[in-house]
Amino acid sequence: MSVVVIGLSHRSCPVAVRERFAFAEARIPEALTALRGAGIAEEAVILSTCNRVEIYAATALDPVSAFAALKQFLRTFHAADDSLDQELYTIAEPHSLHHLFKVAGGLDSMVLGETEILGQLKKAYDLALQHRHTGARLNKAFQRAFNTAKHIRTETNIQRGSISIASVAVELAEKIFSSLNEHEVLVIGAGDTSEKTARALISRGARSVIFANRSPERAQVLAAELGGRAVQFDEWPALLHQVDIAISSTSAPHFILDRQRLEPVLKLRRDKPLLLIDIAVPRDIDPAVNYLENVYLYNVDDLQSIADDYLKSRHAEIARCEQIIAEKVVALLTPQKLRGD
Amino acid sequence: MNWFTDRHFFLLAVLFYGLSTVYSVSLWRKGFRKDNRVNYVLLLIAFGLHVTAMGLRGFSLQHCPVNNLFEATMFVGWTIVTAYLVIGLVSKLRFLGAFVSPLLFFLGVFALMPALDQPHGPKLEFTGAGVSLHAALILQAYGTFGLGAVAGLMYLLQEHDLKFHKLRAIISVLPPIQKLELISVRLLRNGFILLTIGLGIGAAVLDEHKDGSFTDVKVIWSVLVWAIYLVLLVLRWKFARGGRRFAWGAVAAFVFVLLTFWGTNLLSPLHHQP
Repeated sequence: MSVVVIGLSHRSCPVAVRERFAFAEARIPEALTALRGAGIAEEAVILSTCNRVEIYAATALDPVSAFAALKQFLRTFHAADDSLDQELYTIAEPHSLHHLFKVAGGLDSMVLGETEILGQLKKAYDLALQHRHTGARLNKAFQRAFNTAKHIRTETNIQRGSISIASVAVELAEKIFSSLNEHEVLVIGAGDTSEKTARALISRGARSVIFANRSPERAQVLAAELGGRAVQFDEWPALLHQVDIAISSTSAPHFILDRQRLEPVLKLRRDKPLLLIDIAVPRDIDPAVNYLENVYLYNVDDLQSIADDYLKSRHAEIARCEQIIAEKVVALLTPQKLRGD
Repeated sequence: MNWFTDRHFFLLAVLFYGLSTVYSVSLWRKGFRKDNRVNYVLLLIAFGLHVTAMGLRGFSLQHCPVNNLFEATMFVGWTIVTAYLVIGLVSKLRFLGAFVSPLLFFLGVFALMPALDQPHGPKLEFTGAGVSLHAALILQAYGTFGLGAVAGLMYLLQEHDLKFHKLRAIISVLPPIQKLELISVRLLRNGFILLTIGLGIGAAVLDEHKDGSFTDVKVIWSVLVWAIYLVLLVLRWKFARGGRRFAWGAVAAFVFVLLTFWGTNLLSPLHHQP
């Protein structure tokens, strides 16, 4: 009996195809029962996320027959007539196990090294386990995959660092301020990225957020949602001396904050550091303010550049992860080979 | 030849400070990405040897070993490494060792120069518990100032990286600049308190003798150092002169102490018996 995988992922096809073959969680037990009932698999796990739909099966069939049967099952179950010749990938043992370990470690994810997939994989496995659709082969393979993912996380830097603008901004704040829960955030212009950044800061303990937006309704909605307060747009300059982090993303065609406006504010702040995050294009804050003492200005390019550097360092870790996975797959298969399984 | 003298133990301690310095260079090159537990262990071993050396010297003299430049430098180093080992119990502050070990290595190599370890001449003019306490407190104060300067240096490094958008500012294990400033301020404040008490005891000892030694170069220098740190702390508390300027002040003040401590000692008849 060998372990095989068929699937569709963000690498092989667009979301329009994936969504047609996605399994609703409630229907997965039914699908697993059907798979085993048809004699295609002895054991099976179905993983269905926004980025991938995969069937892991332990089958007595030879791989070619198993792939054909699984493909037909997928089309029949979803009542789709797509040929899937280009989109569907099929992987036989031992590469199927290698693939499983890569998925668990986030190496096959759209965002390299992300950890959400491990939770999704555990959930998919638990569902199959609860309904008794797994056995010795898949239990062992999945347990080893989870262990390997943990090993990769602790031994390599594949999951290290922030690769979104919002999380880079939070990391910067944590390198400036001892504790975020003593600091207030001012959001000038409530755009999508500034909202995400404010959310991330609040989730890491920022004391509160003040929203100043040209449209007061939007500011009030966000303030209510995040537990902050909304102010009139023209009130923000008067508040700058009392906040420690300011995120700006207005659509103003000129700088709304420059040295001349900031210098008197800094005197009131008594040398406390001020983190300015300018995610507006065109920029809201004059880059010259970064020359002022205790002011740390980051614009969208600075933040993106840090995120990109992190991503590069993650890519540099792929070879180490692959090596760990190769060793773990060999360790998993060796006892089976010795038994002649 | 006796291989178990205080100088041999101190030499071994300095070798461990050297090893720690080499390891620290690798940590610097890697941008402080990992907690340097290895460095902590190296400095802990060095501390054991250092304490043994001081103990042997102290027992042989039957008083606190602070009577020549070798002993004084050894004492300052001991204060710095002790303070570091206590602070380093907090894992987030353990990386301080990467900055402390080069300073300890430098002090150790300097202290080992044979000319600094002059045999004690005739009985010292001033002896007793008051003198030992005076010397010990003042040297502890300099050790604390040294550690404060190290925290200030780390502040400057981290602040520079944050200003110039270096990735190292984020990926390093250095703590936030606000915390570094707080550590530096507290160390300087504690050092200042120790220096004040130490100078007060010294003044009381001199006052007993009433021989006009208040014009001694070392006494004047000590008051100058006391005034420098007082100005730094007052500017910080009353006029909010913190951040980069305070960090530069902490570093510059300690460099001044390092560069002038030994010279003024040699010029002082009160502290140096030729």
